[in-house]
Amino acid sequence: MIRTKGMKGLGGLVLAGLLAVVVVAFVVARTSGGDPVTTAGTRYAVTVTADRNTIDVRLDRGEADTVTVAAVMPAMGHAMPEATARKAAPGHFVAEGDLFSMGGGWELSVRLTGPPGEETLTFTTLVAD
Amino acid sequence: MIRLLRLFCLAVLLVVVSASPTAAHDVRAGADLRIAQTIAGAELTLVIKATTRVPGPLRVEVIGFPSAPALDLRLRSTADGRVTHGTAAPGRPAQFRVEETGPHELTVGAGGETAVIPFRVLVDRGSGWEFLIYGGLFVAGLLLVGGLLTGAFNRRGRPAVVVTAVAAAGISVAALIVVLEPWLPARPPDGAEPRPTGSALGRPYVQRVVTTVPARPAAGEEFTTRVELFDGSTGRPVDDLAVHHEAMAHLVVTSQDGRYFRHVHPLRTAPGRLEVRLRADRPGRYLTYVELERTDSGGQLLTGSFTVAGPERPTASPGPGIQDAAAGTVTVTPAVPRAGRPATVEVAANGTPRPWLGMAGHLIVRAEDGEFLGHVHEMGTPGSRLRFTFGFPVPGRYFAWAQYATDRGITTVPFTVEVPR
Repeated sequence: MIRTKGMKGLGGLVLAGLLAVVVVAFVVARTSGGDPVTTAGTRYAVTVTADRNTIDVRLDRGEADTVTVAAVMPAMGHAMPEATARKAAPGHFVAEGDLFSMGGGWELSVRLTGPPGEETLTFTTLVAD
Repeated sequence: MIRLLRLFCLAVLLVVVSASPTAAHDVRAGADLRIAQTIAGAELTLVIKATTRVPGPLRVEVIGFPSAPALDLRLRSTADGRVTHGTAAPGRPAQFRVEETGPHELTVGAGGETAVIPFRVLVDRGSGWEFLIYGGLFVAGLLLVGGLLTGAFNRRGRPAVVVTAVAAAGISVAALIVVLEPWLPARPPDGAEPRPTGSALGRPYVQRVVTTVPARPAAGEEFTTRVELFDGSTGRPVDDLAVHHEAMAHLVVTSQDGRYFRHVHPLRTAPGRLEVRLRADRPGRYLTYVELERTDSGGQLLTGSFTVAGPERPTASPGPGIQDAAAGTVTVTPAVPRAGRPATVEVAANGTPRPWLGMAGHLIVRAEDGEFLGHVHEMGTPGSRLRFTFGFPVPGRYFAWAQYATDRGITTVPFTVEVPR
């Protein structure tokens, strides 16, 4: 009886360990995903979702004619060439290609031109591996 | 079983080791953001008070050394673009309301000068591990009740053992998390900058360009000293300065001969651009030193110089309280310091020092040739004596300035030290 209880206690410990590992994996997966980032400037406001090969720019405010994106990884000193996003729909621009050389924290500068004028919005986003 | 436990411990250790530090310009519960600014000829500290809930109030206070003008403030959320205005002066804080966590910009205006201070409003979401603690206890509680019922209606032992064992497992889970919680990674607070877990720390060095507007300022005339910061790898403007000793950057300007000294806190007028207005009374070469820190990196010292033209013109305002050190104000022990050995510098303060830039006192030491600049802090001596420990690195002549704040403002005590060969 006592032995069984002890074994069950140890089993509980293992269960707790496994649960903790699962939760850690969940937290890590949550923090390393490419969540959309909303940034408001004085002329435009955008919501941007980025992954390795696509940057999706949706305009929340302001009408832009052209949208270009430039990515820099400050921690590594990496800079990627400026890419021009194509207009997929009114207020929706998409840049595709080899946009990021690696996963991690990237500083994105979105340069917008249009009737309201030119503005560059800069923010940090996470790009998954 | 032991192997599994070891594996678990290793996993926990890895997660703990790879936990990343918090970002720099953050306002969160229990953490005010204090930023020194030199604006409209005044030296002041802006305090963006800690906030516990969003939507909720956000207070901005001003501390003057000794006084500060009324500041026009404009708070803008860079997440949703919402703008609110206010004014603040010493003793009259500005009250704002924040609707969202995340990035904000505080525009500060006074005397025709404007600074834009980016910061983030964060709200802690709790560790996220509580659900395991409460979940474990809940399961245990549920099964204990179930166990009692099972015991009442079922005389055979086996189901009772199973129920008790699972309840024990639930309590074990809860207890384990309670014990391990301090070492478990906390969830990032609401509004935090997205950052990868386990990334290497350190960012490229900063390249600076120091200019003045006008390019050749005249003695006695006001001019703007402009420091532009560029990333040493990508060439982009550096706009990720961490708050370092309560300022985005500390700018020390000294004349080549050491008779002129200013320690000011330039305004961020654009991404990667810092500016401050100065006035120099004599022509000649002036050396600039910028002390700053990038996010996720250590401190850096950037040097530069500019030239002031024209005949000597004594200025009406000699700057924040520069006085010649009276005899007996400064004591250096040993009286003849040795290079590479710590020396003690004691300064008799005139009045009771109050904290400025997070410290009771600052000692700035420059080699006569300008090739070295050191900045050390007071060590927390009670009373009105300030005590510094400083090791003069090589033999030679040093210009030194001890600084402290009292109710009368900031006092600068200049002196020189000879370190023989």
